[in-house]
Amino acid sequence: MTEAELASNDWWEEYKAVVNQDDEMHVRGHDTFDENFYVEIGDERFLIEMDEGTVDEIVSDPGMNHAWSFGVEGDREAWEEFVQEVPPAFNHEVIASHYRTAVKDDPGHLQLTGNNKKIFQNLRAFQRALDLMRTTHNDGVNSDE
Amino acid sequence: MSEHEHGDIEEIDGQYVHVDVDGVDHRIYFEESGPEDGKPLLLQHTAGCNNQEWRHVLADDEITEDYRVIAYDLPFHGKSVPPTSEVWWDEDYTLTAERFAETIVSIADALDLEDPIYMGSSMGGNITLELGDWYPDRFRALIGLETGAHSPGFYIDWLDHAHVNTTEVNAYSCWGLMATQSPEPARRETMYLYEQGATGVFKGDLYYYSVDHDYRDDLDQVDAEECPLYVVNGEYDYLTDPEMGREVADGVGDGATAVETADIGHFPMSENPELFNAYLKEILADIEGDREEPLPDVLSGEDVGVDVSR
Repeated sequence: MTEAELASNDWWEEYKAVVNQDDEMHVRGHDTFDENFYVEIGDERFLIEMDEGTVDEIVSDPGMNHAWSFGVEGDREAWEEFVQEVPPAFNHEVIASHYRTAVKDDPGHLQLTGNNKKIFQNLRAFQRALDLMRTTHNDGVNSDE
Repeated sequence: MSEHEHGDIEEIDGQYVHVDVDGVDHRIYFEESGPEDGKPLLLQHTAGCNNQEWRHVLADDEITEDYRVIAYDLPFHGKSVPPTSEVWWDEDYTLTAERFAETIVSIADALDLEDPIYMGSSMGGNITLELGDWYPDRFRALIGLETGAHSPGFYIDWLDHAHVNTTEVNAYSCWGLMATQSPEPARRETMYLYEQGATGVFKGDLYYYSVDHDYRDDLDQVDAEECPLYVVNGEYDYLTDPEMGREVADGVGDGATAVETADIGHFPMSENPELFNAYLKEILADIEGDREEPLPDVLSGEDVGVDVSR
């Protein structure tokens, strides 16, 4: 397990390196995944700025000068579950989590926000980008792989 | 997953059978394994997919020793092309409960199956309620994998949209339905099978799955005393979770058994074949009356001798 705390500066630097070296992101991103998205962990929001399937920059607390297409929100406990090497049921993938929130009204899970069309146009690459948070958190070990 | 040597040929036969469904001829592809006079076990795939999901049940020597295992492709799925006598291309493909149940029974009739055990997952699990309500005398037992009385929320326009790569999206919208600890090659293959569906068919199946199927007030109409019903839902199935399975069995009453399967999700037969086949043998043993104890509320890898690393 990485020694850096989830969503610390060092953690995000490692995350950027993991995404940008990921072969599947290169294949599934098709060099066209350009939609910026944010990750909200409790009260903290981080904007992931994408450039042709790679992470260009990660911005803490983005404001009016920034733009994004969609995001994922959840409390810190939900994200801590999501990044476990073997996550518990229903916080193990973003669509799973969102379904529990949106359809089941089941609290404690991640929720998608933003432009649904752009989410589905980029689903696999976006999903892979989130899965790589688990890889980052476990020093390259991911039950998803 | 089993290992093979160069030149191995699997003992699975593929054929076509012509099936009359509501007066229309359908050329239905099916694969089978096991003795011709074995007890028939009829397998229904999930929405938008095809019979390849069942290849590890068809290849299990212990199961095919006693059972004639048959996995078919529904019309419009896999190798079962649309009916040639119909103009099907000027309307959306939409599956209803009546059409789905009638098709399954018609396939069993066309293959002249006597007292088959029916098993299906997801929409194939949900339809066990209609089969147990409308056709309880046609089957020896029903095994509903990932069954719910009502499973809303998946009849989504983006799954059949000109601005979306639906080949990829139809598959990966299902990615989280599997347990992350299921073997990656099996989960990747499950998604690969999903990427083979024809345009609009997944969404059309989901009309049945998320809209037309609603047994919340009708569970007592399912006759599980005449035809035993097994409701088997995986721990990681966020759509039809094990609690929903228990609610179905409670609502149906006598003859219905709920079993939670640990460490597995919504596509058990293809996402973790070793674990699922071990679970399935316990359920088949219960149907045959070969178990001394009732099935437990939760079946785990430890119960069936499969190491599940967590």
